[in-house]
Amino acid sequence: MSRPVYITRRALLCAAGNSPSAVSTALWAAECTPGQRRLGEREFPYFSMQLPESGWLARAEQAIRSLAAQLGSLKEKTPLFVASSSFQMGQFEAAGAPFELPAACAHFSRQLADWLGLSGPCYSLSTACTSGFSALDAARSLIAASQIDEAVVLGIELANNSTLAGFAAMELLSPSTTRPFDVRRDGLVLGEAVAAVHLSAKPATWRIAGLRTGLDAYSTTGPDPDGGPIAALTVDCLQEAQIAAGEIELVKLQAAGSPGTDLAEANALRRVFRQRMPPLLSLKPYLGHTLGASGIAELVALLACLDAEQIPATAGFAESDPEIALKPTVVRSNTYIERALLNLIGFGGGLASLIVERRQ
Amino acid sequence: MTYLNAVISQNFTSPELPAAVRAALGKPLRRAAPLTQLAVVGALACVPAERRKWPTVLLWQTMSGPRGETLNLLEEVCNGPAEPMPYDFLATQPAIAAAQLKPFFPGLQSASCWPLADASAGNWSPLLSLADYWLNAGRYAQVLCAQLEHTGENACGHWLALGITPLENSLARLQLSDLRSESAVPDSPDFPLLLSRWLAERGASSLQLQSATGDHLAVEFAQP
Repeated sequence: MSRPVYITRRALLCAAGNSPSAVSTALWAAECTPGQRRLGEREFPYFSMQLPESGWLARAEQAIRSLAAQLGSLKEKTPLFVASSSFQMGQFEAAGAPFELPAACAHFSRQLADWLGLSGPCYSLSTACTSGFSALDAARSLIAASQIDEAVVLGIELANNSTLAGFAAMELLSPSTTRPFDVRRDGLVLGEAVAAVHLSAKPATWRIAGLRTGLDAYSTTGPDPDGGPIAALTVDCLQEAQIAAGEIELVKLQAAGSPGTDLAEANALRRVFRQRMPPLLSLKPYLGHTLGASGIAELVALLACLDAEQIPATAGFAESDPEIALKPTVVRSNTYIERALLNLIGFGGGLASLIVERRQ
Repeated sequence: MTYLNAVISQNFTSPELPAAVRAALGKPLRRAAPLTQLAVVGALACVPAERRKWPTVLLWQTMSGPRGETLNLLEEVCNGPAEPMPYDFLATQPAIAAAQLKPFFPGLQSASCWPLADASAGNWSPLLSLADYWLNAGRYAQVLCAQLEHTGENACGHWLALGITPLENSLARLQLSDLRSESAVPDSPDFPLLLSRWLAERGASSLQLQSATGDHLAVEFAQP
């Protein structure tokens, strides 16, 4: 037996704002200037959350308590699914040597649950950039299977030097800005975010119509440039949603400005949509790439835009790449969207596609 | 109906692990973190070659996580003279394991790592619940549920292989059920051991694993 799963409540803090509506307003106004984060002798553009606290743990607590306030009252035993690629890495850095790691590597999730006021089951998922949709898939599947009735899925990625240094060492970071699908794109701009959705079997405006996670083992750092595995996953997701590609009205791209991944995603989109390409939107020029939080953060930001019927333009795009030959939307619109596809293409080969559908 | 097709436990000392990988693959697995090596030797031990093309998902939990690699990276980032080596950063990302397993397990379609939040609790119940739901929905033909741990000198993996098709040698049937037995076992890292004992003894007709998500729910194993 399977039952539909709905997104009933949403919460978000990121560089673009401290609530879903604030973020959608900022995106509509095309506000997207990153700050800087120093790493040794180098400095990188970086999207930081706007919080008054400066200590790592104090910022984390403030951010999560703000999320809790946005979500409103929750049943204490609501299952929590935490998605992150770095958990409390910044806290380890702040505490310094000797580094004292807890016995259970996701122990921090219990702290997050406490701040949210939850004392029920607490699960953590870490699949790099696709962590958010992996957690969403687990939670919605358990609801669909009637194992649970509701869940909170939390994406969290907070500033730390280990992640920044890792991406810097691999030369994956842009020295300037995020340019999705642009011929001058030169890498990612990282950011931090905390975001949450409350899922339920009780009907709400947005339903999870399809969700699939996949694996592209072309390389541990990037997808098959041909886009075949990404396209196959998107087709699986469409089949689960029982809708045709032509019914998708908007695609929230992965498009982080990475030379290789943007190309793979474009090739995949061409395979799936052929001549009927829907409008393409990247949110990363506004939020940065928030890694393990990106799935939930971009989902919440997108739904806020769709609810407001204010689809932002894709910032950072200026000139088409002939190899990509696709343009993200550069003009904002007030289109009423009923079905949107969201793509995640992760570090380490993870892929995920989600289709959300507005309830009639 | 879901079938339990294999239960295995593997233990290695750190020096034994690369040798086990070499024995399984016929060659070493370069630049692979211990958790990745455990994933490879465990998955290949659970599933014979003829079934490695079947659509499969790997769901694995870990308490240790990439602990040694994380300490190494923190040392490099906080106290080192330069930026860390790329592979030292990659080794802290458990998602990498699936990408390195896939060439040897072509049917592997998806994988997720579930780091544990409590030292005394397991995530076997949600992993098995997802396995049962996804198998019966036709999403996959087999599901591998595992717990992989690497601490200092020791590495161990516990594996349950589940399928939608009964095999000649299936060990048990599995279904989600209402909790009826006071002897239901709690979800803990010891669960594979308890399951193996129940399979060996064949005493009680069923074994219930209590669900952490609902007081009245359980994952029930029964004789095939």
